[in-house]
Amino acid sequence: MLKVRGLRKIYGNYHALDGLDMDIEDGALYGFVGPNGAGKTTTIKIISGLLLPDQGSVEIDGVDALAHPVGLKEKIGYVPDYFGVYDNLKVSEYMDFFAACYGMEGLKARRRSQMLLDQVGLGDKEDFFVDGLSRGMKQRLCLARALLHDPVLLVMDEPSAGLDPRTRLEFRETLRELNAQGMTILLSSHLLTDLAELCTDVGIVDAGKMLLAGSMEEITEKIHVSKPIIISIYKNMPAAMALLKEHPLVRSISVKNQEIMVQFVGSERQESGLLTELIQVGVQIRGFVREPGNLEAVFMQLTNHEEERVMLSYEHDQESGL
Amino acid sequence: MNMIKNPVYKREMRVSARSFRLALVLLVFNGILALVALLNMYSMLAQIRVTAEIQYSSFLDLYLFMAVLEFVMLVFIMPAITAGSISGERERQTLDLMLSTKMAPIQIILGKLAASLSTMVLLIISSFPILALVFVYGGVTIKDIVMLLACYGAAALFVGSLGVCCSALFRKSTLSTVVAYGIMGGVVIGTYGINQLALFFNRMPGGGYFTAASAGTGDGSSGGFLYLLLMNPTVTFVMTMLRLSGREAASGNITQWFGNHGENFVSQNWVGCSVVIQIVMAVILIRVAVWAVRPGKKAW
Repeated sequence: MLKVRGLRKIYGNYHALDGLDMDIEDGALYGFVGPNGAGKTTTIKIISGLLLPDQGSVEIDGVDALAHPVGLKEKIGYVPDYFGVYDNLKVSEYMDFFAACYGMEGLKARRRSQMLLDQVGLGDKEDFFVDGLSRGMKQRLCLARALLHDPVLLVMDEPSAGLDPRTRLEFRETLRELNAQGMTILLSSHLLTDLAELCTDVGIVDAGKMLLAGSMEEITEKIHVSKPIIISIYKNMPAAMALLKEHPLVRSISVKNQEIMVQFVGSERQESGLLTELIQVGVQIRGFVREPGNLEAVFMQLTNHEEERVMLSYEHDQESGL
Repeated sequence: MNMIKNPVYKREMRVSARSFRLALVLLVFNGILALVALLNMYSMLAQIRVTAEIQYSSFLDLYLFMAVLEFVMLVFIMPAITAGSISGERERQTLDLMLSTKMAPIQIILGKLAASLSTMVLLIISSFPILALVFVYGGVTIKDIVMLLACYGAAALFVGSLGVCCSALFRKSTLSTVVAYGIMGGVVIGTYGINQLALFFNRMPGGGYFTAASAGTGDGSSGGFLYLLLMNPTVTFVMTMLRLSGREAASGNITQWFGNHGENFVSQNWVGCSVVIQIVMAVILIRVAVWAVRPGKKAW
């Protein structure tokens, strides 16, 4: 559906995008994740035809989007990270206006608009003024607007920003429904929890580059080190801590009661070696298990620019002499 | 291009018709005109009561006075209406939404400009009953009114395009309005000032070098700078009014304004040439505005 290759965009000396690649399959719900300033909005604006790249190519549904901008606009529905509403305009008039912008008029436009408003739950708000709607309603209206011309790809830039948890859940459900109907969706967010439960595919971007991309399962499997080992100690906690603190493959340690959570960057063989070493120094162990991977951990791992060893609560307590 | 089908034009007309601002502008605009017209008539009638002499030229003066007042208000209101047109969309964050649709930048610009011009046309038409007061006494023909409207139209198109252009170039409506008024002031006062300055220098001893065209003409003139006044809608308006009032001969041809200039095609058809120049400038300004709102272009 979407193929982006070698996208570069430079503002002065700042490289907003530095050779970004992206592939989205038909029917995917693609989560585009990255910290603030990673290049998400710039990428989305280029894909939506609102910004020209300095270098690179964008292909949507087999069409070269940069060479045929009008063709691109027929295929894309764009929802920005703001609402973009007019004063003194009713919901139905707002929809009529944007339908006319896509060349749709008359009964066809009116029916399509009513159908979409019903779909996003604003069917009974047609005669309300747009600027009087709540944030959640405005966001749903923006979604309905973006779907007016029946695009093949829906591009959304941080759509959940500023919404309360309930509205966010409802919005997420609407997106799931659209995706289930076959709509390909590109969704950017820095709220990883939003995407982890919603998306079928994920791309992690930082400093204008795609760091990691693939299906959700692939991603969580790929980063083995993101899964911490939870060691349940029966006896001899100090010996376990002494060993773990000096171990070269341990990146961080946190302790809760008799459980130690260890960020261990070794292979499965090295993992079993760690267990052996712990037993050899006299630590009695009740449990030794890797926690299932999650997107949050992957994201933190990838976007952490320094390979630093993190000292957590237990070590703080030790150093303060508690 | 069918403006009635332009979505931006349709939306602007709907929103402005619904807003309180338009009603207020109409009230203030016509209120000032009506007040001036009625005061003027009252003063004339008072004079007639005292002197028992009817000066019919006073009714023409009333017409001229109201036409001038209307022109000044048009030139002042038009930038205020248009200078926030595109920057306002940016501030509301709706420009990108429009650009993400199949709408071309030229449609957006023309829709905005046409909506502003429609507001101006509404203002002018709404003032007709007040202007028509002079018909009570006669002296002004329909042709005179049409000429005046043509002059208003050219000025409104030029000033409106300038406002839309500034609005497309600048991100903030406040800055755009200030720049639009600044440029308008430059065109109206600046072109006149340059001619005065050129005339002043050329009348100084040995100053003929300032404008080669006036060298050796004896008393000097502003030379080629005179043609800068073609851009000036105020000069076009003044020339039109002089012609309408039959005072063209008394006040002198444009060639006599800043020293003696030779007669040529432009000076003989000053109003027509000036209207054409203003329309050409409006087209250039519209093209600049279209360039400024194309996707990826950052506003200042």
